[in-house]
Amino acid sequence: MPKRVLCKFFAHGACLKGEHCEFSHDWKDQANNVCTFYQKGVCSYGSRCRYDHVKASRVQAPISSSSASVSYVHQASNPIQVSHPSRIASSGKTTLVSSIPVELSALSRPFFPPDKPSWFQDSGDYAISENDRGVHSISVAPSDQPICAFAAAGKCPYGERCPHIHGDLCSTCGKHCLHPYRPDEREEHIKMCQKNKERLEALRHSQEIECSVCLDRVLSKPTPAERKFGLLSECDHPFCISCIRNWRNNSPTSGMDVNSALRACPICRKVSYYVIPSVIWYSTKEEKQEIVNSYKAKLSSIDCRYFDFGSGTCPFGTSCFYKHAFRDGRLEEVVLRHLGAEDGNTVIAKDIRLSDFLSRLRLTFISTQEIYAIWSAGNMLYSLHYLCLRNFSLGDETRNRGCGIYTIE
Amino acid sequence: MLDLSRVQKELVDCNRDKSSGVSIDLVGDQLSHLAGTISGPIGTPYEGGVFRIDIRLPDGYPFEPPKMQFVTKVWHPNISSQNGAICLDILKDQWSPALTLKTALLSLQALLSAPEPDDPQDAVVAQQYLRDYPTFLGTARYWTEAFARRVSIGTEEKVQKLVEMGFPEALVRTTLENAGGDENMALEKLCSG
Repeated sequence: MPKRVLCKFFAHGACLKGEHCEFSHDWKDQANNVCTFYQKGVCSYGSRCRYDHVKASRVQAPISSSSASVSYVHQASNPIQVSHPSRIASSGKTTLVSSIPVELSALSRPFFPPDKPSWFQDSGDYAISENDRGVHSISVAPSDQPICAFAAAGKCPYGERCPHIHGDLCSTCGKHCLHPYRPDEREEHIKMCQKNKERLEALRHSQEIECSVCLDRVLSKPTPAERKFGLLSECDHPFCISCIRNWRNNSPTSGMDVNSALRACPICRKVSYYVIPSVIWYSTKEEKQEIVNSYKAKLSSIDCRYFDFGSGTCPFGTSCFYKHAFRDGRLEEVVLRHLGAEDGNTVIAKDIRLSDFLSRLRLTFISTQEIYAIWSAGNMLYSLHYLCLRNFSLGDETRNRGCGIYTIE
Repeated sequence: MLDLSRVQKELVDCNRDKSSGVSIDLVGDQLSHLAGTISGPIGTPYEGGVFRIDIRLPDGYPFEPPKMQFVTKVWHPNISSQNGAICLDILKDQWSPALTLKTALLSLQALLSAPEPDDPQDAVVAQQYLRDYPTFLGTARYWTEAFARRVSIGTEEKVQKLVEMGFPEALVRTTLENAGGDENMALEKLCSG
């Protein structure tokens, strides 16, 4: 389906359809800001109207919903009127009059690739053969013609006498909206239609699902913000997003352990480390994965406010779902340092800071005051440096044994 | 804020199910103060007793556990014989918002049939349970008899029962009234007088 016109709801940050929206979610696309009342004749807002007051003829190209039909307008009208005035004059008909029989006859013509402009055809062999058959040279490839909008919407009042092509029936949506000469568009429509149908079914199924905490149906909650599921990463029990977040944000003073109780699923007590909001409930593992992936993808495009373009530190480090990028767009590169722990396992070292050293060092100094009391400042610096080296190379071992004593031997 | 709609739903749901042996009633006009009743599980010294439990819902409910306390005196290692305080993990740190008042009351019922003397609330009871189990059983049974007797039979039923025993109805009514509605006391009086 063509995605050319910017979605109004998306522009206000409130489109609920997400990627399934039939309008464009790309800021590069133009919003359709044309007043349809003005085009029909009367706009009661007059000059105060928020929408553009443009005459119908001027906006035909930009507002047409199909990308192919835009090229059709250009191809069909410009070359004929501008580059071949003589031909039209000789035929004795205006382009407007001739357009109907041409389009009708176009049904019986062979298929042209849509990227081939019609004026090339005019100058080539094909144009001559057209003339031989007694049809006027204004040839429009059938794939370039739009299908009848009335038929696509359900019923065309002209029936058989309609000057436009009637699309084929789409078995999924039951409308005559499949263009007979645009295979790509057909396929896209069928795919989209099936996806929409699946989504609709999933939505219907989601309506029934109750949150186990508030015992309400999640999608029947009063405000739109509440009508969302909170998916847990490790299990498949449904909750509404506000309930599960409330539970997980419960204050630790309530006596419940954060890791074993609050982060666990209220029903099965399986621990999940994150919650994924979703407007729809899934029925298969793949659907859940899709929801999780699209959520993560969305977050990874948003700058992390803890990382703050490199000037802050994010407590989530490499596990953060948000984007860690510097102001110049460069992404943060994290090299994990693996250290061998005392029990033989490998652990990932956290950032080691000088302040940590100093606080640890002071503790050691207090415990071994007698030995180090006479140390000069220079010595201290040297030992500090040495300490750093030792600590980096030995990791946890050094830390566990108390750094001070270990390094001076 | 207390989630009123959830509490209402829970009440309706719990009282619809008559077979579970637990019920919840309102105490005043506040939904935050409720009274639960559980029947003593069969095959335990609490069999035949009806235990009343005072339930207070904190503002954070269901994200915080409800506060429950036995009103009926009960002889049980995990329930204080003095004030009825309950030692049960799901009413403390193991609470989950997916639990309801009904499931909590059912857990109390289960606690009555399976005491945990190693994690006691009442040390005296727990010691008796561990050292002298027959005495514990006797005490528990006696307490059930004395404090948790079913008093739910209506006056008409009591009258009918006594009339069936062969006493004249008018006499039964006056005696029962004098005895303060106590069926057994009335029977004693009827027999002696």
